[in-house]
Amino acid sequence: MQQVENFNYDNKIVRDFGIATIVWGLVGMTVGLLVAVQLVWPFMNFELQYTTFGRIRPLHTNAVIFAFVGNAIFMGAYYSMQRVLKARMFNDTLSKIHFWGWQLIILAAAITLPLGFTSSHEYAELEWPIDIAVVIIWVVFGINMFGTIAKRRERHMYVAVWFYIATFVTIAVLYIVNSIQIPVSLFKSYYVYSGVQDALVQWWYGHNAVAFFLTTPFLGLMYYFLPKMANRPVYSYKLSILHFWSLIFLYIWAGPHHLLYTSLPDWVQSLGVVFSIMLIAPSWGGMINGLLTLRGAWDKVRSDPTLKFMVVALTCYGMATFEGPMLSLKQVNAIAHFTDWIPAHVHIGALGWNGFMTFAVLYWTIPRIYKTELFSKKLATTHFWIGTLGILFYAIPMYWAAVVQGLMWKEFTPEGVLKYPNFLATTLKILPMHMLRAFGGFLYLTGAILMTYNIVKTIRQGKLVANEPAQAPALQPLKHREPTAHRRLERKPITFLIVSLIVILIGGIVEMVPTFTIASNVPTISSVQPYTALEIQGRDIYIREGCVNCHTQTVRPFRSETVRYGEYSKAGEFVYDFPFLWGSKRTGPDLHRLGGKYPNKWHFDHMMDPTITSPGSIMPAYPWLFDQDLNISNTVKKLRVMQQLGVPYSQENVENAEQDLMAQANAVTADLKASGVEIQPQKEIVALIAYLQRLGTDIKNEPQDSE
Amino acid sequence: MFKQITNLNGYEWYLIASLLIFIGFFIIVGILLLTMKKDFIRHMKDLPLEDDGDIQVSESQES
Repeated sequence: MQQVENFNYDNKIVRDFGIATIVWGLVGMTVGLLVAVQLVWPFMNFELQYTTFGRIRPLHTNAVIFAFVGNAIFMGAYYSMQRVLKARMFNDTLSKIHFWGWQLIILAAAITLPLGFTSSHEYAELEWPIDIAVVIIWVVFGINMFGTIAKRRERHMYVAVWFYIATFVTIAVLYIVNSIQIPVSLFKSYYVYSGVQDALVQWWYGHNAVAFFLTTPFLGLMYYFLPKMANRPVYSYKLSILHFWSLIFLYIWAGPHHLLYTSLPDWVQSLGVVFSIMLIAPSWGGMINGLLTLRGAWDKVRSDPTLKFMVVALTCYGMATFEGPMLSLKQVNAIAHFTDWIPAHVHIGALGWNGFMTFAVLYWTIPRIYKTELFSKKLATTHFWIGTLGILFYAIPMYWAAVVQGLMWKEFTPEGVLKYPNFLATTLKILPMHMLRAFGGFLYLTGAILMTYNIVKTIRQGKLVANEPAQAPALQPLKHREPTAHRRLERKPITFLIVSLIVILIGGIVEMVPTFTIASNVPTISSVQPYTALEIQGRDIYIREGCVNCHTQTVRPFRSETVRYGEYSKAGEFVYDFPFLWGSKRTGPDLHRLGGKYPNKWHFDHMMDPTITSPGSIMPAYPWLFDQDLNISNTVKKLRVMQQLGVPYSQENVENAEQDLMAQANAVTADLKASGVEIQPQKEIVALIAYLQRLGTDIKNEPQDSE
Repeated sequence: MFKQITNLNGYEWYLIASLLIFIGFFIIVGILLLTMKKDFIRHMKDLPLEDDGDIQVSESQES
């Protein structure tokens, strides 16, 4: 007979991550509501730099993704991993370091993002010192996880654990590759990639952050918690294996669908499209496996709010993973991209799939670790219905707004001119839809507040079982070889890690290596010159203020865009763009051909108060740019870093950077003075105007005979 | 839809190679699955349900 061992599950760490999930969830959702309201009533930006949309929107996305969903992942993983591996977490100290480290990172993000310290890469905005902290804490999590796996009492790893392993290894690879940057100062750095290559790296990261932070860990949670909640085993274990491997293999290729019709090489775009379409299969494999697990248990869904949340979560997962491939079709993408369809799509995933599953896991786990019943099932059911209404009120108006605006952008009159040449006309048209969206967000937040009350009451009436006793036989050495390869793989965590790593690397390598190494993929344009010192500083203000959150810098090769904005964007134009600023959403118009379109005075007025030049504009005002002095002292350092990155600045350029900067600033202020406004040349607005006036102009200086 | 993936100016190779890699990979996973033993799968499926001794487990054991 095998020896039975006694041990304890660590429930305290689960509780801690659970509370962090709720707290940061409320914060993230509240900030989300604020940015939604800002898009309707610009005065809600409070004319303060720290609360303006461009800086607050990354705070919302980071808070929701890394703080709310991140803590939920750790809560669920720490609970389920201990139980399917039949072992306490490897090391309590590591668990604590993981917990507090992660909360400190979130706190650092919540402070630095409103201060304008941002790298501008979407969902990776944090500056380099915080990036390093993220990597360290992630490794701590990894050690703790693999340590637990190593001392497990169950020979084979349950499917949930594979999803956690894939999450760990892939996020590590993505985050590190996407964060390679050279520091200029403590909170300013430049990525080593530029232009097209930077775009490819960023969306390889961005798309797979969705895959491996918002999807795979949640599938892991689903494979543990859904069978527990429904009290029956998963529908098909074989399907879980098949869809696991297909999912992690296919996902990694799909990033370029975020860059369709840009100057990214055609073949990379096509790879992104094909693999995105194929992704329906494994995604739906997961959804179907989840829903069919409930076969014969549907009566429980009627009475059990946790299962209600799970069903809607899985349905939203199915919807979002059908919608994603459809949006990747070039014809659909041509209309839907840059519109409200994308936030709607994202929020079906975030509110429905991630949010609802998190709520279900919280409602299920907290009473168990407190050895009590949920305070009020009725309140949880109310939360469910308010939350569901919130999702509908969020998504439907946004889809509507997307179609309305997408078609307006493309509409021509019979005479062949744009029917809505003024971009603002299309924005004003969809404001009522944005109000409804904000209402949807308000409902969803209300539901979360109800849950908080319910959970607090539950915690009050119970007592935490910090160390839950458990028993399991010790793992005996294997006496004979196991019959199948996958079975052998399931008990070898390190081999499993390596195989997963290889599988996820294939796609990235095939797409990236040629784009980086084969010159013909990014044809150079001789007239494209590096930015001047003042323009670099202006560009960094553009980055700091998060202009990229609302304005794209890439004109797609459509008649509707070339007529509206100008010549379509070429790969060679972006070679000195560290980082790329193509953006992903057009809340305002594209800016790639902005240079020379308006006089300096127009920009001066527009930044002071956008409604002067564009009545009814929802863009915030930027009064502080007129008061704050540019930090000129780091100019030389910035140019030197650029030089290291391969930008052909001469030694003279670098050494005389400050004088050159002042000379150009004086020219801009002289021009402004001629137009009737006076401003000192060292003010930030001058640098920003210089940058905006440079945008997309180099190509016009191209010698006529070159092509 | 297919027009966008057929005209790639000599870069079709990337597409074909990646599809081949995927098909090969898919076949390997398929073979692994088909050769898996039933009782092992049952054991794995039941793992989450057998981890604690609370009331729910006994209920499922009956069915």
